[in-house]
This record gives sequence, C-alpha cells and structure tokens, in this order.
Amino acid sequence: MKDKLVDLDAAVDLVGSGDTLTFSGVSMVRKPMAFIAKLIQSGKKDFTIVDREPGMDFDILIAAGCVKCARAAMVGFELFGLAPNVRRAVQEGEIQFIEETCGAVVNGLRAGAMGLPFLPVKGIIGTDLVELHEKLGNWKIINDPFGGGEIVAVKAIVPDVAVIHVQKADRCGNASLEGSRFEDVYKAKAAKKLIITAEEIVPTDYFKENPEKNTIPYCYTTAVVHVPKGAYPTACPNYYPPDYEEVLRYLKMCREGKVKEYIDEFIRRW
Amino acid sequence: MHPADVMIKVMASQIKDGEVFLHGLASPMPALAMFLAKLTHAPNMVYLAVAEGIDPDPEKFKLYPSSADPRHAAGCIGIGELAEAFDLAAKGKVDGMFLGGAQIDKHANINLTCIGSYDKPKVKLPGGAAAAYLSPIVKKLILWTTNHSKRTFVEKLDFKTGIGYEKGKDKKVVVVSNMAVFEAEESGLRLISVHPGFSIDDVLSEMSFEPIIDGYATTQPPSDEEMKIIQKLDPENVRYLEFKK
Repeated sequence: MKDKLVDLDAAVDLVGSGDTLTFSGVSMVRKPMAFIAKLIQSGKKDFTIVDREPGMDFDILIAAGCVKCARAAMVGFELFGLAPNVRRAVQEGEIQFIEETCGAVVNGLRAGAMGLPFLPVKGIIGTDLVELHEKLGNWKIINDPFGGGEIVAVKAIVPDVAVIHVQKADRCGNASLEGSRFEDVYKAKAAKKLIITAEEIVPTDYFKENPEKNTIPYCYTTAVVHVPKGAYPTACPNYYPPDYEEVLRYLKMCREGKVKEYIDEFIRRW
Repeated sequence: MHPADVMIKVMASQIKDGEVFLHGLASPMPALAMFLAKLTHAPNMVYLAVAEGIDPDPEKFKLYPSSADPRHAAGCIGIGELAEAFDLAAKGKVDGMFLGGAQIDKHANINLTCIGSYDKPKVKLPGGAAAAYLSPIVKKLILWTTNHSKRTFVEKLDFKTGIGYEKGKDKKVVVVSNMAVFEAEESGLRLISVHPGFSIDDVLSEMSFEPIIDGYATTQPPSDEEMKIIQKLDPENVRYLEFKK
C-alpha cells in the first residue's frame, strides 16, 4: 500500500475540464463541499455531474458556471424549496439537464462498478422518461432473453472521477463510511479515479483491527485528503448534522442575487 | 385541525401490520404516518427510508427538514441502503411507497418533472426521484399533495413521471390532498372522503376534472391519542412547512 495523502489542491489537479463527476451523499448529507469549493476556485469547467438525489453541491457548481450537463433523479432543497440555480440554468437553457429515476441511476452506477455494459432495471416503462433516455442513448427497452418480457437496459455509468466524503480513512486510501452509505460504494468502484476526503485520518491498524469497517478498500482509491468538516454545511453522520440555518442563508443570498458573494465566501472557507 | 395531521392519519391507515413501506426525500408526512402506524395498528410493519435506518426507534425520533438527516436513523436495527430497498421492490416485496405529485391526472399518473415542455420548461421541478422506477412495481402507491387546486389536478400532464392506475395489476393507488382522499380506478379518480372543514364544493371547484362521486365519507381525523404521538415525533411542527402560508 502506498501513501496517497495529498492536499485539496493536489486532489483537484486530478480533475480535468469536461470530466464526468459524481459526488457522495444525498440532499443535505455527506456532500464533499470542501472539494467542491476548491474545484470552483480552480476555474475548471464544462463538467457533466451525475448523482441520484443531490442538492447544494449541484446547485452551487451550476451557480459558479462550472457545469455543462447535470443528470439526477431529483435535485432540490426538500422543504426549503427548489434548487434556485439549477432551476434558472435549466429554464434559461444554460445547461442540459437529464432527469434520471432512482432505480436507473443506482443500477447504472452498479453496472459501472461491476464492469458490465448495462443492467436491466424493472419499472419505468410507460413513463415519458423512456423516450428521453432512448434518444440520449442511456437506456434501451430490450426483451428479456429468458422470456420475461420487455425491460429497460440502463447503460453503465462510469464517471471520470468520484469524490466521496467519508468519516475515516487511512493515508493509503482505505475508507470507512459510517451510517448511511447511499450509492457511495458503487460510485467509488464505478469511477476511473477515486478521491476520498475524510473527517479523520486513522492509522492503518484501525482497518486491520476492524476489517468490516473498510467499506472502500485502498485498491480503488487514487488520492486521500484530510478535511475536517469537509461536508459542511451538509451533514456527516456521527460528526455533525446538516446546518439548516446555513443552507437557508445560501438560499436567501441566491434569492437576493448575491450568489457570487456566497461563492466567494464559500471558497475562502477552505 | 391542520390538514397535515388529517393527511398523516389517512396515510397511516393505508399501512397494514407486517407490510414493508418506504419513504424518500422531502417526505415529512409519510415519515410521521409510518411511525404512527407502527405505534398503533401496525407494530410489525417494516420501516425503510431514505436516511437508510431500518426500523428507527420512535422514542429517539425527532423530525428535521431533510428526510435524509442522519438523526432520522437513530436507534435503527440496521442500515439498509436505498439501493437495497429498490432491489426489494423489484422482487415485489415493498408493499407501499409515498410520492408527491406536482400534477396529478384522473388516472393518478403524476408529473414531478417540469411545467411546460421538458426541453424549454416554464418551471423546472425537483424531479421524480424514484417515481418512474417504483410507481409500476409497488402494490400500494400513496400520492400526496398539499396544494389541492386546478393546477395540481389537471386534465393533461405536462410530463408523465410516474404511473398511477394500471388495469389488471394488484396495485392500489390512493391520492391524499389537503382537502380530500381519492382512489384510482379504471374510469377515473373516485372520491372516498372529504376532510373535516372542507365542503364537496371546495374539493370539486379546485379540480380540472370531475372525480367519480358515488357517496363519500368525512375523513377520519387523528384521535387525541394519535395527535399526541404525532406531536411527540414532531414537536417543532416541521410537517407544516410544506404548506403554503
């Protein structure tokens, strides 16, 4: 095992403009916000971003003008309302938005992790999403070769880079997700490069003594970054809850046309 | 009584003991309904949720604005990835799911995608989440809207994100609005009950299509005991945030 511990800037160097990226977490939980701040600061852009149910991560990257295409089953701030910058950018035709459905995006990532070209996924047929995705070449209705009728084949999703914020990792890139994992293990294994950001760097003995806690072993990992509070203002289970007040402050500043000010502050935080 | 509490009671009454239910993001009322059912008539229901705690402990539960808040999994018996809940649904073993609907038609098909065209939307909505995937494969689909209006109950959807009634399938589709309860059948949406405080005229004048009416009841509101349970799970009234001021 090699030492893969780097700083945030070195980790951002692993990303290229135009890359397809995916991030850990959902909604207001375990989003790699510190990495996203540095990514915005780097000036790289034209990203395709893909996830099941993102929130502020997608919204702020789009607000910063870094995104060409976004793919998600749902994106918003739940009870706090629509994602203002996603909404504006889509309505003004600034970015392409591809609406996914949870079962498809999850299994697309799983296919990516399994090294398979596609996975068959139930449901979906009969909705307007099918035509959209068939046109884009992401899905195709096929016949079950074993006689089960029509089913949607979902093409593997293989992001260029996955950025996964975890609670604990060692310097070699062994990583432990505590509590909800969402699709993060599949994202980590599907991507060509994997960047782990971690609340804590623990000795490798932590994993030797508790191998079941090693949810993403080192052999998948490209780089590890130590970033306490790296998911803030989203939550990191066992470390801190979402900071709802801060999320509301972001939304208020967006509404008041001050999103650039928020982004400046967001970058300075890291 | 706040319509949220009536809606929670209606949602809870759809859950039978031993059934497996799932809720997603932006779902405060479904979460409370699942706990209410578990603490009253359905102690053996299996609670699956977007926060990924299986059977969280109601004693330790407090409702927060994000359904995925990790505190919502407090006291759970295990972690169940949402991906695993989707697998279970594909096996036909998720009995029920709750979904919202920005637009709902008379067949209980729903739009959560966009107002206007997909390519040039007037309003880009948050998206269907699991609607397209789960709506055709669960046995009970419970749709809710806090905005009973002509804009919600539409003649024609701008986009079909999820599928309601399906002929010949073992599938029940219930629509719970802030004014009434409906159930989808082959010829349309049947009015089941009207919530206390609303008239049949309130219900009908705010729909773009006519539901099937063939006698209807007054919706059973939660009892004092049930209200205590709801209030204990949500002491800060987060469940009311979803309603327009």
